[in-house]
Amino acid sequence: MFEDVLAFAALPLAAAIVFTGIHTWFGLQVLRRNVVFADLALAQVSALGATVAVVAGHAVQSAAGYAYTLIFTAVGALLLTASRGFARSVRQEAFIGVLYVVATAATVLVVDRSPQGAEHVKKMLVGGILSVTADELVKFIILYSIIGAIHWLLRRPLLAAADHMETSTDIGKFAFWDLVFYLSFGVVVTSSVATAGVLLVFCFLIVPALVGSLFSSHIGVALVIGWIAGAAASAAGIFGSFLLDAPTGAVTVVTFAAVLLVAGAIRAFITAPAAERSRNRQRGLHVGGLVLCLLIGLSGAWVVVAPAGDHPILAMIETAAGLGPDRFMSPSERADYLEAAAIERRHKGEIDRLYDRERQSRWQGDELTPDEIRRIGSMQQTLTEMGRGERFVMDYLRTRGRERERWYVGLPLAAIGFIAAATIARRARRAR
Amino acid sequence: MLAGDRLRNPDVARARFVPRAALAGIVATFLVSSVSPAQNMRVVATTGDLASLARAVVGDLAQVETIIPPAADPEAFEPRPSDLARLKGASVVVRVGLGYDHWLDKLLSMLGDAAINRGGAGYVDASVGIPLLEVKGSSVDPANRDGHAHGLANPHYWLDPANAEIITGGIAEAGIRVAPEAAAKIIANRDSFLARLKADLVEWEQLLAPHRAARLIAYHNTWPYFARRFRLNIVDVIEIKEGVAPSPARLAKLAATIREQKIRVIVHEPFEPEEASQLLARRTGAVVVKLAPSVGSVPAATDFRALFDYNVATLARALSAASN
Repeated sequence: MFEDVLAFAALPLAAAIVFTGIHTWFGLQVLRRNVVFADLALAQVSALGATVAVVAGHAVQSAAGYAYTLIFTAVGALLLTASRGFARSVRQEAFIGVLYVVATAATVLVVDRSPQGAEHVKKMLVGGILSVTADELVKFIILYSIIGAIHWLLRRPLLAAADHMETSTDIGKFAFWDLVFYLSFGVVVTSSVATAGVLLVFCFLIVPALVGSLFSSHIGVALVIGWIAGAAASAAGIFGSFLLDAPTGAVTVVTFAAVLLVAGAIRAFITAPAAERSRNRQRGLHVGGLVLCLLIGLSGAWVVVAPAGDHPILAMIETAAGLGPDRFMSPSERADYLEAAAIERRHKGEIDRLYDRERQSRWQGDELTPDEIRRIGSMQQTLTEMGRGERFVMDYLRTRGRERERWYVGLPLAAIGFIAAATIARRARRAR
Repeated sequence: MLAGDRLRNPDVARARFVPRAALAGIVATFLVSSVSPAQNMRVVATTGDLASLARAVVGDLAQVETIIPPAADPEAFEPRPSDLARLKGASVVVRVGLGYDHWLDKLLSMLGDAAINRGGAGYVDASVGIPLLEVKGSSVDPANRDGHAHGLANPHYWLDPANAEIITGGIAEAGIRVAPEAAAKIIANRDSFLARLKADLVEWEQLLAPHRAARLIAYHNTWPYFARRFRLNIVDVIEIKEGVAPSPARLAKLAATIREQKIRVIVHEPFEPEEASQLLARRTGAVVVKLAPSVGSVPAATDFRALFDYNVATLARALSAASN
């Protein structure tokens, strides 16, 4: 098991770090150019190319498949380059958005003509970084090294083109470098999206670059900080998905967001200049305290107003304090509540037992007759309905408990929350 | 119980199919007017499987059309305007039910044709009467208030060929309700189809008999009915929630299961993402076998019988190769 965990984690982690390596560089340029969603647009245009290839009868990994994808990506790069020219009175981002939705819609239309492409499109969104192979990883490393080297050699004109986004009136001067940028960006995004999916690639691209930019305006320093942050977020995401037993891509997106939050906090509260730092700390305490107290106050007030409603914060406090909802019931209600819970558990156990019996009979011993199967099915159905009834009883009794709880817990909670919030607000005003 | 007995002694089918004596009477009455409006009958089925069974029942009496295109993932299907046009004027509508083709309700209520809506003469919910597996509870669908609230269960019941008897029974009943003069033809068609299927089933069961209780992993929980008919043990499924990629912890657990129980075959469907299955195969040495969950999912599965010809032969070949 442990070996499997390592094997399932090592390659994806290596891939995530490789992706972070190249995407942080592109992300820094994307931020400078103010074209954050260009990657989504390019990825979607290349996905359209891959889908057209599939519909034309080529495998995505075949030479023809790559050719289709590359041609579409090149067209996308040309359109993005041209969009800088259009974007004099309107922001370029608007054109990028249009390109994205049109490419997405076109993909849907192409898939609609040929259902075989659907799997491909599904994969493009979700990605499969977990199942990356060693061969693919080697290909990525070679491809990204070449592109990285070209960018290193051409970094001055590329960055100059990126830095003169707003001021430049001489579009023609930068058009060539824009095209180089978008073409190489397209190639990178196309290959990474096919493995990691659109959501995760967006994270690789933007989050480390943002973190780097938080701490330094020097692109080299920002790049190194971004790499460290990206590698940490990737590792946390992949191991987190093991611990939480949840899909890797989604967990990694969340850990990237968490790293961004932590980096923001470090920037504001630790590394900022001394005067700014103490002001940030005070402000952070005020805002955090205000939000927390308001939440507690509103939650208490909500129990008073609607004891039968959903009370997520109260339930959280109850769970944390080890208080069950049975605390505010009368003894007979509590007995009924616990009995209903026990019966529901028993029904669930019985349903599982029936399911196991039927499942075992598929291949073991005598086959069950259709009537026996029907009997099992109707028993499962009846037990499910009865369980629903018990849950109804529990909900009713919990509401009765909450109706009393509103005076004992809701009212004090509301009072404490609102008074504390008011105090903090007054202090904050005085501090200013 | 032997396969032959099962088909010869159809309690269920008898219960829901019009008694033959009465049918003979109906047939005699209508034999006189043998040039029939049945030629204009049009049957629309939601899936290729039901369309194939409907074709077997109505033969050349009616045109049969399918809504979900072949090789598409039926559980991700979204209807188009042309599907509404296809349903318009249909004499019989055949659906899988159990929420599998839930979008049909909306299309049918948009059309408002009482004859093919729930309770109409031309409406067939093919799941009625099927011995359902993995029942989860009642349907809470508010449209389902005709007292027929049957359980929500695993909907892939056509993958047990023995269920074809019940499915074709429902289709035949609707066909006769809509075109009573065609009753004799419909009954004859169905009888000859079931006779051929019965012979086929004996053959299929023989092919898979050496692999009784073979342990398999499936990508999606599509195969309980198939497993029950052919006595296979599907130990676990890779994708628990439709469309959500399995977590790495789950894959590691599956890899351990595959090794401990010496599972050699992972059953995969053509339109599902292949990565997770391939990854497990690489880690454990098991092979990924693509089976067709529906008629048209693979080119070889041209109709209901070909579907099982393909699935049984493919699986038997893979299991034989794995045991050597």
